[in-house]
Amino acid sequence: MTTTTMKYAGARSGLARLCSHPKVVIGGVMVLIFLLVALLAPWLAPNDPNAQDLLATLLPPAWSEGGLAQYPLGTDALGRCVLSRLIFGSRIALLVAVVAATGTMLLGTVLAILAGYLRGWFDRSISFIVMLWMAFPPVVFSMMLMVGLGTGVSNVILAVILVDWTRFYRVVRAEVLVARQREYVHAARLLGFSHLRIMLREVLPGVAPIVITLFSLEMGVAIVVEAILSFVGLSVPSNVVAWGVMLADGRDQIYQAGWNLMAPVVGIVFAVLAFNLLSDGLRVVLDPRLRKRGSE
Amino acid sequence: MGNVAHLLGRKLITACAMALLLSVVVFIVLRMIPSDPLAMMLPPSATQADIDIVRKELGLDGSIFQQYVVWLGHALQGDLGRSIFFRESVVSLLLTALPPTLELVLVSLVMALLISIPGGVLLYKLERRRGEMLADFVLVFLLSVPSFLWGIILIVVFGVIFPILPFMGRLDPEFSVNAITGFALIDTVLQGEWRAWLDAFSHLILPAFALALSFSPIIVRVLRSSLLDTATAQYVNVARLRGQSEWRVLVHHMFKNAALPTLTLIGVQFGFLFGGTLLIEVIFSFPGIGNLMVQAIKNFDLPLIQGVALVFCLMVLVVNFCIDGLYAVLDPRLRTS
Repeated sequence: MTTTTMKYAGARSGLARLCSHPKVVIGGVMVLIFLLVALLAPWLAPNDPNAQDLLATLLPPAWSEGGLAQYPLGTDALGRCVLSRLIFGSRIALLVAVVAATGTMLLGTVLAILAGYLRGWFDRSISFIVMLWMAFPPVVFSMMLMVGLGTGVSNVILAVILVDWTRFYRVVRAEVLVARQREYVHAARLLGFSHLRIMLREVLPGVAPIVITLFSLEMGVAIVVEAILSFVGLSVPSNVVAWGVMLADGRDQIYQAGWNLMAPVVGIVFAVLAFNLLSDGLRVVLDPRLRKRGSE
Repeated sequence: MGNVAHLLGRKLITACAMALLLSVVVFIVLRMIPSDPLAMMLPPSATQADIDIVRKELGLDGSIFQQYVVWLGHALQGDLGRSIFFRESVVSLLLTALPPTLELVLVSLVMALLISIPGGVLLYKLERRRGEMLADFVLVFLLSVPSFLWGIILIVVFGVIFPILPFMGRLDPEFSVNAITGFALIDTVLQGEWRAWLDAFSHLILPAFALALSFSPIIVRVLRSSLLDTATAQYVNVARLRGQSEWRVLVHHMFKNAALPTLTLIGVQFGFLFGGTLLIEVIFSFPGIGNLMVQAIKNFDLPLIQGVALVFCLMVLVVNFCIDGLYAVLDPRLRTS
């Protein structure tokens, strides 16, 4: 067999392996739907999410009595289309999820590899900070940071990164501690490779699966944090649609219009479930130890 | 037992040092604030002299370091300053708001254990059987719904669609119970107000259940995996060989050992449970420290934010210390080594 066909076979079995786990497939499809909704929001939404129709406030969904086909999920207290707001709300969620999770991953993983590989005072001091961070309930810490930093989406992202990098740090550092004892790392050192090269070429690939798994998980966490902060009014300005804002608005009309609340609830749960399923599936699929167990 | 005392003494010193450092972190973060808190509390007509007086009163003059030293001096004497918004001492606000939160957390912890112990055993029993997949999906789903969304769902279902449970506040206004301990469930008993007790309890059910629903899947996961770990231990096989029933093996031999990692996890995740009260209290208009924190944030009430944030951290430290102590009592290996 030539190298190209072998490579091809390897790639195909890789994809097949990814798809072998139902959680990866279901989670992946859900993530794809979420991505498409967020990216195609202007074309998917039936109405302008901020347009107020004050003659048609608190309408029920179209299929129930009194609903209008123009507003498939009804309207809120200001006569804004709930479905359009739900669709546009996914954009902020996606933005925060992608940027915050990437930042969290970079900060946490870089510090974890440095600390786990170099050990010594660096490891001790970062690990001590992590211990301090753990004493803060994450929600309390992020709200406090929002007070210190000021409101706005970019600060929400910064707050998520500053609070959640410890998740990556703790897990990845533990993996690095194992990886640095491996024979190939010793061999690389004997060959005289620089520390930087060893960290990038030998250690990083070893921890990559767990980093990918955590990344997917963190996207879900970031979505929840953004929803919480915009629910309390610390996140987006009033003209931006976010699921947390929809929850806060809907709460005032809970008796007249409970469905106003259920739309953002479904949106948040859908997105978080998508990333959690994907993460859970990837954990099994990408872990060579678990994989081997499955094939035996 | 000397070993345990030594261990706990060391843990206590660490906890105190951490509390001190956490107060530094809280202090620094809140001093980054982009706007001047004084501008928000004083009328526009205030003169520079007025501003200076209030600034000094609030301890906002001097460098951050000087401010911290002054603040710490007061804090060690039990004075956390005065709330700008409520015009009351922060400590007295905290003392009235803390018991409701503790009550809520304890009730939800009990509920979470009542859900997750059978849940963990069920999942362990389902391992490598039909239904495992389904149970696993349900677990991931439960993990994906944050507690404040459970709160909203529960309110819509049990408060609005089927109005069977109250979801506003802590006690119906028709009852008046004097605060003795501050814990509604205890105060009503002390005063023999049984109907009020029932009312207070029914007010706790939905918020506590919302917290428990998001906390228990985490416990279930760990309990299942630690049961799976103990299942292969030699003493478990020996018990099986002696002909004991699966249930007896589970209850008498496996459970105690599987409980230890679960206990650690509850300690680690306690901050999560505590943090969850923040939004739950807002959603259920429950007068605890979470609600106090959100009100303080909405009003840029710096002394109060600082006080509440610290209390949250202290609670986590206290719980972790207690778990360490419990661990030392439960695990004989810790006592000898």
